[in-house]
Amino acid sequence: MPLVRRSILLSLAGAAVLGALSCDNSITSLEVLPPLDAASTDSSAGSWQMIVLSGPTQFTVAAPAAETSAAYLAELGAIKTVQANLTAAQRQVIEYWSGGGVLRWNEIARGLVARFSLPPAPRADGTYPVPDPENPFADPQFPFANPPYAARAYSYLAVAQYEALKTAWYWKYQYHRRAPAQVDPGVHALVPLSNLPAYPSEEAVLSAVTVELLKVLFPAAVEEITRRAGDQRNAALWSGKATASDIAAGLALGKAVAAVFVARAGADGMRTAGGTPALWKALADTAIAHGETPWISQETPPRPPMLPNFGLVQMWLMTPTDGVNERPAAPPSTSSDQMRDEVAEVRQTVDHLTHAQLAIAQKWNDGGGTYTPPGHWNDITTEYVRDARMSEVRAARTFALLNMAMHDAAVGCWGVKFLYFNPRPTQLDPEIKTVIGLPNFPSYPSGHSTFSSAAAEVLTSLFPAGAADFASMRDEASISRMYGAIHYRSDIERGKEHGARVGGYAVRFGQTDGAN
Amino acid sequence: MLLAFVLVTSLSAQSLDDGTLLARRALGVGVSYMHEDWSQYWEGTLKRSNGNVGNVSTQTATFLSAYGVSDRLTLLAMLPYVWTDASQGVLHSMHGVQDVTVGAKYRLLSTPFTDQGTLRAIVVAAAGMPASDYTPDFLPLAIGLGSKRAGGRLTVNFQAHQGWFLNTSAGYTWRGKVTLERPSYYTNGQLYLTNEVKMPNVADYVFTAGYQKGRLCLPLSFSWQNTLGGGDIRRQDMPFVSNNIDFTRVEGMVMYTLPSPRDLSIRFGTSHVVDGRNVGQSTSFSGTLFYLLPF
Repeated sequence: MPLVRRSILLSLAGAAVLGALSCDNSITSLEVLPPLDAASTDSSAGSWQMIVLSGPTQFTVAAPAAETSAAYLAELGAIKTVQANLTAAQRQVIEYWSGGGVLRWNEIARGLVARFSLPPAPRADGTYPVPDPENPFADPQFPFANPPYAARAYSYLAVAQYEALKTAWYWKYQYHRRAPAQVDPGVHALVPLSNLPAYPSEEAVLSAVTVELLKVLFPAAVEEITRRAGDQRNAALWSGKATASDIAAGLALGKAVAAVFVARAGADGMRTAGGTPALWKALADTAIAHGETPWISQETPPRPPMLPNFGLVQMWLMTPTDGVNERPAAPPSTSSDQMRDEVAEVRQTVDHLTHAQLAIAQKWNDGGGTYTPPGHWNDITTEYVRDARMSEVRAARTFALLNMAMHDAAVGCWGVKFLYFNPRPTQLDPEIKTVIGLPNFPSYPSGHSTFSSAAAEVLTSLFPAGAADFASMRDEASISRMYGAIHYRSDIERGKEHGARVGGYAVRFGQTDGAN
Repeated sequence: MLLAFVLVTSLSAQSLDDGTLLARRALGVGVSYMHEDWSQYWEGTLKRSNGNVGNVSTQTATFLSAYGVSDRLTLLAMLPYVWTDASQGVLHSMHGVQDVTVGAKYRLLSTPFTDQGTLRAIVVAAAGMPASDYTPDFLPLAIGLGSKRAGGRLTVNFQAHQGWFLNTSAGYTWRGKVTLERPSYYTNGQLYLTNEVKMPNVADYVFTAGYQKGRLCLPLSFSWQNTLGGGDIRRQDMPFVSNNIDFTRVEGMVMYTLPSPRDLSIRFGTSHVVDGRNVGQSTSFSGTLFYLLPF
């Protein structure tokens, strides 16, 4: 073979191999969280305003044994034994949880929502089974963690964690027991320690309150949840942060607080949020009686609307009257010139979509099988909490304010959606096709716009330096629904205004809760 | 759910997995058109239909060219334009330039084998990458998977003097990670908090038997594709770019070189997926015109 041809062949083969090698396949799948070294211990958090509990003494934590007691010395000895034989796997568990329990549980919750945010598949006869909390492992799995379900789930976790941690902080500063690594130089501190008292252990409080709620919200994931909760407590022990009695006290406190929230969740209206066939028909009949075109499901086979009674679910910071008062006005009539123009705008937009607009539609899609729009805002918040080096209790406050606002926004938005039962653009103009999945519930107003606006209000109050970013993300998330061809402009505008009003309740709560 | 994600297999006689090469300094150009559709697919291993997409069709028009550097080395290039459409539901159709693929086929061996015919061994190196900024994150209607690829292939061919031939080919394709527009995704039992998707590599095998005499060639192929990793489509979920896509396909073709104009060959082919995982059960029909320039 002539030299020149051999060279061509070899260079081609070489290019192919280099091309393959340059396909760097490594990716980072978890939040990158350095070991939490909180900017402040927030020692006054025991006096911050409660939301559901009557106060930090609603649950009593008994006094711990003295640091000089035989029982406590035995606990120290046990930690030293473990630390002398730490495996690589145990060190990994310590490192993972050192990033912060609130942040890690938020990340885990987002994973659970993404795992469960798929709708039931239709039966052969064209009907849809309903996920059954009594049989969560069946097909369909329970729950279908759609956006309202997810908003509620994130909020229960966040508020319960926050109330439990405020209670823990109160008792920590009643007893002032130090961390084992501070009591005994023979115990190593494998994570950053502050002068935050160790009893009851905040890790144990968090693990217990979280696991009890997750078992109710995502019962089919009980095995993973239980394992992770055990990991978190072990990490506290192995790292020299808490002794067995610190952990036992935290575990008991976390469980006690969780019971309050589990009871609330059982009676907050969620159980009947799915409605009945009679209700579904009445919603359409009401719209027709008002001279409007009613929403219909555009799935094949047609699927019952998503949680038509979610608008009746109990809110965190708003009364039912507040909820009604903050609602936006009616959408333009389906037979109005304005609606005709808005339909035309959607069609014009999606049929001439730029690459940048498609990218925005996909970035904020947050549809089936994802952590949903509320999860997206938790994702955004995580980096701000991490960078602010917030204590566990302040991180919990941040997520509680954020997720109470988004839950109340979901309730408010769903109330309006099913009040007007307004059709989607694809229903009023069948030529309109979407570049993201079409949600199976009425159009007006846009849920993503409502969530995003409520979230941006809260985050702006907590992280003023990020105000411009939050506003631009809110606007991008909102308009993404027009690029996706699933919402009209008035859905988006009224949704944003509504979300901002709802978010204001959490902002005002945060201004006077004693944490500033 | 497209099948066109391995380094294009059986496009024409001048494809990456056949046993033939061009003569030295021969330059060929061609166009092909393929229509492919499915109304059933495998959601993981569960075969089903989906009223929200109905029948999903893909049309592909491909420009191809090949050049014989020597009697032993042929270079190839291909560039497809793809249109997708769903017959039901509200999802928008997609179209655009998909991935450019370049390859080199080199004949390692060509020797008389028994007194019946000739044995050839051919190696192929090929690489491909998206040639436009199409989105891979809209399956099953995305026009491609959006990853860079590089692969190798070994083909062994036995051509009998009487006309029949046997061809076996095995390929391996490395695939680079894909970048999505969204900051997270869930696949294979895990939430990934990144916009980057690790793409599993792909192995494929093709076994062809056929008859070639004079101007006529009639190949019949079985091919297997095995994606080496990736997750299943979850119950009632959309397909995802890194899904574990496997399939078995049968394909038949008729190729004929016209007496006039000289060196113009036409091909018609059809294929059908008989078994699969995370893929549509597609049936395709294709036609190709390939012209060897008088050069």
